[in-house]
Amino acid sequence: MSHTAQPSALKMGIPIPNSKLGMWLFLGTEIMFFTAFIGSYIVLRLGSPGWPDDPRDTHINVLLGGVNTFVLIVSSYFVVVAHEAMAMRNFAKARKFLQLTMLLAFLFLGIKSVEYYGKFAHGILPGKIAETPSQAIQKIDRELEAVVRKRFALYTDSDAVKVPEPNDIKNVVLQISALASGTIAEDADKAAVEEMKPFAAGDVELFKRYINLHDHMTADVSLTQEASGAAYTDARSQLKEGESFAPLSLNEVEEELKNLKNDETFGSYVAAGVMDPHPMLYGNLFASLYFLITGFHAIHVLVGMSLFAIVLKQGEKLNEKWTDWVENSGLYWHFVDLVWIFVFPLLYIIH
Amino acid sequence: MSNDDHSNHHVNYLSVFFALCCFTALSVVFDVLKFEKPVTIVLVLAVAIAKAMCVMMFFMHLKFEGNWKYVLLAPTTILAIGLPLALMPDIGVPYYTSTAPQAHSWGDEARQFHEENHAGDHEHAEPSPSNPDDQG
Repeated sequence: MSHTAQPSALKMGIPIPNSKLGMWLFLGTEIMFFTAFIGSYIVLRLGSPGWPDDPRDTHINVLLGGVNTFVLIVSSYFVVVAHEAMAMRNFAKARKFLQLTMLLAFLFLGIKSVEYYGKFAHGILPGKIAETPSQAIQKIDRELEAVVRKRFALYTDSDAVKVPEPNDIKNVVLQISALASGTIAEDADKAAVEEMKPFAAGDVELFKRYINLHDHMTADVSLTQEASGAAYTDARSQLKEGESFAPLSLNEVEEELKNLKNDETFGSYVAAGVMDPHPMLYGNLFASLYFLITGFHAIHVLVGMSLFAIVLKQGEKLNEKWTDWVENSGLYWHFVDLVWIFVFPLLYIIH
Repeated sequence: MSNDDHSNHHVNYLSVFFALCCFTALSVVFDVLKFEKPVTIVLVLAVAIAKAMCVMMFFMHLKFEGNWKYVLLAPTTILAIGLPLALMPDIGVPYYTSTAPQAHSWGDEARQFHEENHAGDHEHAEPSPSNPDDQG
């Protein structure tokens, strides 16, 4: 009875397919989703008295961002052509343009990966960026320690030296010193000893340079002054009241790092493991926002690609039943483009 | 079906596409020309809005859709603008001096470092303009 045709009921509601209404409602929530991120970026940017705006520090690449903008615009155009072809029942043409869109989506993500890689390679990671000179010194200290530990692990892992607690590098260095001077533990692996012996003296020297820097950092004393041992204690006892040693400066540490990197024996390990520091105020907030916004955008690109992949999976069987699907996924894709249209100037040009 | 309501409105998508390309090139040009920062911000955001309008009106067919588009999009847009506006007074344009370490103690340390090292290279290492005392 209630299913009896009611001609007037047909005129009710919104004159678009339910699926399209659903997509537009979803895009409504997406507007709020991205405005939350982009709005937070604008607010935090305005509220911060400083911001890293030099591309040499942030490694923001306007050219790559611009190319990606172009890639998304072209893909948006291809989607609209594909939808038009679907409406005109030219399914072969629609498939061709959807394939091209897919290709451009891959290109977009490829360029994005290059950008991400460039940032990772320079240590642009939320929470890991040194914002001040003293943080930069701390970063060098930690990275240098990691290099020393990695070198020492070669000795302990290969049993060239036997140390009860290999995590204690001060213990390990004693054994490596012994190895360098020709004293070899009875239970050491002979082949490993032969292999590691030529490097032992260099690695001991690297350790000494590291621990010297570390002591200066802990004591916050300039490298021109001893920072440990009897010499340090003596010098301290001679200080008058209210006097203190000159503090450790990043310039000195940078100079020392340069010398370490130029060293013939261990320079290459140091160069590979320790980055040149660029203190960047508000760098961590910048990095968090950059990765949050571009990361969520990239996830949206992946979702759009899945929507197109489902259509393309139909192959030759693509027919008019898929017209709404193509239109709706097209709307989604245009929205992804729309977000990028705002992300590009805000993150790449104004930054 | 879905296309009936706007099948009469034929759009030359290619010209929309070219317009979008020109706008993109324009925003890069604005970046290269190095205007004063506020000018650049206004210019590139104006271009972004123009591009967004092109995409929404023609690619997303909003120009040819019924009035339901306002019913559906106005509330979310208002809510979306609400969030940044709500955060703005406290975080964006704070009345009181910021006590964030970057603005306060770190700012001094960094400023001192940059003054000592990059006096002639201000472009690369512009010190934080934050001086807590100046803001109060």
